[in-house]
Amino acid sequence: MLSLQHISKFYQVGGTRNFVINDISLEVEAGEFISIMGPSGSGKSTLLNIIGMLDEPSSGYHYFAGETVHQLKDKQRSALYKKYIGFVFQAYHLIDELTVYENIETPLIYQDFKSTERKAMVADMLDRFQIVGKKDLFPAQLSGGQQQLVGIARALIAGPKLLLADEPTGNLNSKQGEEIMQLFKKLNKEDGVTIIQVTHSEKNAEYGSRIINLLDGRIESSKQL
Amino acid sequence: MIKNYLKIAWRNLVKNKAHTFINVVGLSLGMAVVMLISLWIYDEELSYDKYFHNYERIVQVMQHQTINHNTITQVDIPIPLGAKLRQDYSQNFKYLVLSTYTDQHVISHGDKKLNQLGNFMQAQAPDLLTLKMIKGSRSGLTDPSSIMLSASLAKAIFGNADPMNQLMKIDNTLNVKVTGVYEDMPQNTSFSDMAYIAPWDLFMSSDPYLKRAATRWGNNSWQLFAQLNPGFDVNKVSADIKYIKQRALLAQGDKVGNEFKPVIFLNPMSKWHLYSAYSNGVNVGGKIEFVWMFGIIGLFVLILACINFMNLSTARSEKRAKEVGVRKTLGSDRKQLIGQFYTESLLMSSLAFVISLMLVQLALPWFNQVAEKQLVILWSTPVFWIIAIVFSLLTGIMAGSYPALYLSSFKPVKVLKGAFNAGPYATLPRKVLVVLQFTVSITLIIGTVIIFRQVEFTKNRPVGYGREGLIQAQLRTEVIHKHFDAIKYDLLKSGAITNIAESNSPLTGVWQRESGLSWRNKPPGLQDDFGIIPVSFDFGKTVNWKIIDGRDFSKEFLTDSSGIILNESAARFMNFTHPVGETVKKDGRDYKIIGVVKDLVMSSPYERVTPTIFFIIDYPGNIVSIRINPNMSTHDAIAKINAIFQQYDPDSPFDYKFTDSEYAQKFDDDERTGKLAGFFTVLAIFISCLGLFGMASFMAEQRTKEIGIRKVLGASVFSLWQLMSKEFIVLVSISILIAIPTAYYFMHGWIRHYYYRATLSWWIFAITAIGGLLITLITVSYQGIKSALTNPVKSLRSE
Repeated sequence: MLSLQHISKFYQVGGTRNFVINDISLEVEAGEFISIMGPSGSGKSTLLNIIGMLDEPSSGYHYFAGETVHQLKDKQRSALYKKYIGFVFQAYHLIDELTVYENIETPLIYQDFKSTERKAMVADMLDRFQIVGKKDLFPAQLSGGQQQLVGIARALIAGPKLLLADEPTGNLNSKQGEEIMQLFKKLNKEDGVTIIQVTHSEKNAEYGSRIINLLDGRIESSKQL
Repeated sequence: MIKNYLKIAWRNLVKNKAHTFINVVGLSLGMAVVMLISLWIYDEELSYDKYFHNYERIVQVMQHQTINHNTITQVDIPIPLGAKLRQDYSQNFKYLVLSTYTDQHVISHGDKKLNQLGNFMQAQAPDLLTLKMIKGSRSGLTDPSSIMLSASLAKAIFGNADPMNQLMKIDNTLNVKVTGVYEDMPQNTSFSDMAYIAPWDLFMSSDPYLKRAATRWGNNSWQLFAQLNPGFDVNKVSADIKYIKQRALLAQGDKVGNEFKPVIFLNPMSKWHLYSAYSNGVNVGGKIEFVWMFGIIGLFVLILACINFMNLSTARSEKRAKEVGVRKTLGSDRKQLIGQFYTESLLMSSLAFVISLMLVQLALPWFNQVAEKQLVILWSTPVFWIIAIVFSLLTGIMAGSYPALYLSSFKPVKVLKGAFNAGPYATLPRKVLVVLQFTVSITLIIGTVIIFRQVEFTKNRPVGYGREGLIQAQLRTEVIHKHFDAIKYDLLKSGAITNIAESNSPLTGVWQRESGLSWRNKPPGLQDDFGIIPVSFDFGKTVNWKIIDGRDFSKEFLTDSSGIILNESAARFMNFTHPVGETVKKDGRDYKIIGVVKDLVMSSPYERVTPTIFFIIDYPGNIVSIRINPNMSTHDAIAKINAIFQQYDPDSPFDYKFTDSEYAQKFDDDERTGKLAGFFTVLAIFISCLGLFGMASFMAEQRTKEIGIRKVLGASVFSLWQLMSKEFIVLVSISILIAIPTAYYFMHGWIRHYYYRATLSWWIFAITAIGGLLITLITVSYQGIKSALTNPVKSLRSE
């Protein structure tokens, strides 16, 4: 599904290069569920952002769904990204001014779905996540776990092939976290969504099919479960 | 998509009430100002005199004359010019209409007597002016004993009765018959004052003196209006008739007249109102300067409001940044985000537009009073709506561009990482805009203060006579003159007055000027131009002038009928060391200077005092000046004076004016400018302060954490307040430094036009600067102190 080859990301500080990602190569097959672990500052989030095309590497080759990402123009990259990738954040990042319903609907608007289609798709998603009763509430009226559910629903609404999650349970208590992980597992198994998550928790990492440990911008170890 | 934009825009407006309030109020004030000024400009510029169908072809015949190398331009022309043009250039002109100035006359019908402004004009006047006849036809003036009335005057005299063919009297002497009633000419026309038109020939037959004037090329006391035939160009015809008067004077053998090098030209109607100022024979604009000035001020006020919008939007960018980041990760294009932010600003500007309509409706009565206009919102004019709506869209785009482009440029990775720091230069544009706002505001303050100060300064100019307790009345018949001594005796006996005098000009004007006088050692070639004021013996005692050399007129000296009194300026002009006893020759007669008085300010108080000579009057004067007895109430005194005048002259209304209020009228124009400028200045400052307040509150919000930490570390409220206010004080100080030279430059140019003028003292600038800083401090302190007083535990816990 995607392939990173000799990817580096560095910042020039004075005369020296400060590497955040240092020559990482990584192959991800469709249907995998990968957990990226590592101490703070090891480059987990940066790697995830590069995979999600939110950030650009300083050097290296990036292939995604048969496209040569590092050669694409911004517009093409953005189109590719819109089509295939969904994002889940630690801080949920819901739009405060929009209701649950509208938050979930937003990606569809940007992908030019018709109004009737959107309605059906959002209704379906609300139903699937059992949050129909909360559709007219604003994010501030929800608990953290509920907000993250909405965040995941929003990430999934356009049917992405790849779900990227940056510490999705970081702001949740353990019970809520577990629920989210169960959901991820189900999505991966039943819907075939490829998932890459960044996490600090050993326990959550074990929901995945592969665990990658980063240290100082390099892959320290990779373990198939 | 649009629906979604609108929804989120609306929710943002509702959610941030303070922010919305500041923006909408600011923008609607800005728009209201622009709308008021546009209506005013429309009235002044675009629609003025357009009432006349032949607007494009109507001209006034005018002349330049040169006196001592100074060219003056005047509407006043001699009578024979009309006939000469008609004779030599008949193919150029469709109509040529000689006219008197618009002057007051007593119009009466039976017992109804009204003092009204009107003109004597030649018979083609109604065709020239394309009068809209309600009764009668435009040929009504061909009968030499006719009168045409405006609808409102007809109504005032005849009520609902038919005025046609009714007999009337003008000044109790001229018998006329009503031959037409025309619709009142609108207020935004050059002839709006004219309540009636009477035939020119009737006027010419009213006084034997006019028979002589009709042949004199040197007597410039009339007006001439004309309409060009199609195909004739104003400039071309002007060039053709340029020397017509000089040639005529030469033929008449009038050498003195030709010394003034009279140049005749046509002034098209489009230039009458806004371009009436001439300097040395060249048109230098006129009221158009006000149109420009207020147009620019209006635009500036609107820009100030737009700046508020830009600044507050970008100041809030940290809050919006997250939304931008999320939307981008959800697949939004930059274009779509720009669209969304534009929707917000357009929604805001539409809201402001609706409110501004209400504000204008509310402000119009007041504005009309100050501007002496009758403006209305053009509710039923589609063009008004089109322009207004396009204009509010433009305003929305102008206000929204910077935030839309700036906010949509955020990179999602950066803003979603949490601590979004826009960098040290992100606030620079905001600072520049605040400086711009305050530069404009402070420049306006200084300008307004200087205008008011100039008016006040000139009001306090010593006028050389006692203004208070003096009234003046215009005499239209000879009755008062014939019985002058008897009337004076009665008035004094009644105790209503202390003195009364006749003169040919009021104290507030110089109605007669002459040149060609001679005196000992007059340098050859020196051209002279004196104000000539014939007065009765008691004039000086009545107006309380101040003799500084020689003596006043006195009946005890039989020779005083050929004695004259000079004002200081005349004495200086004649260059006499001891003027008293010298002789001045006028019209072949010798006059002896018996005294010199301190300059009397009779014409414009802003101008140099005209060299003026006072003679003893030997014909009926135009004006009586009356000094009211200070021991009697003005009301009682006037009642008594009125009764005595009515007793001697029952056919004329006793129409008096207070000299001090007549004098005050000379300041009307400048006071109006000052008031309007003041009004716009207050709005500009208010809008700028609104913006500052908004900025201060966002800044306080942003720095909550910093302030919390500082408090924990032991900072005092005072030092925190200092910290919060410092930045704004620095910005406003920069504005002051820019505004002072700017204002000095413009106001120096403005005030230079006045001969009698206040100095641009440093304290005006100093006080404005201090005032500007104080306003800033007050505006930003509320937020500063509020956040300094917040319990740090609260602000730190939320982190």
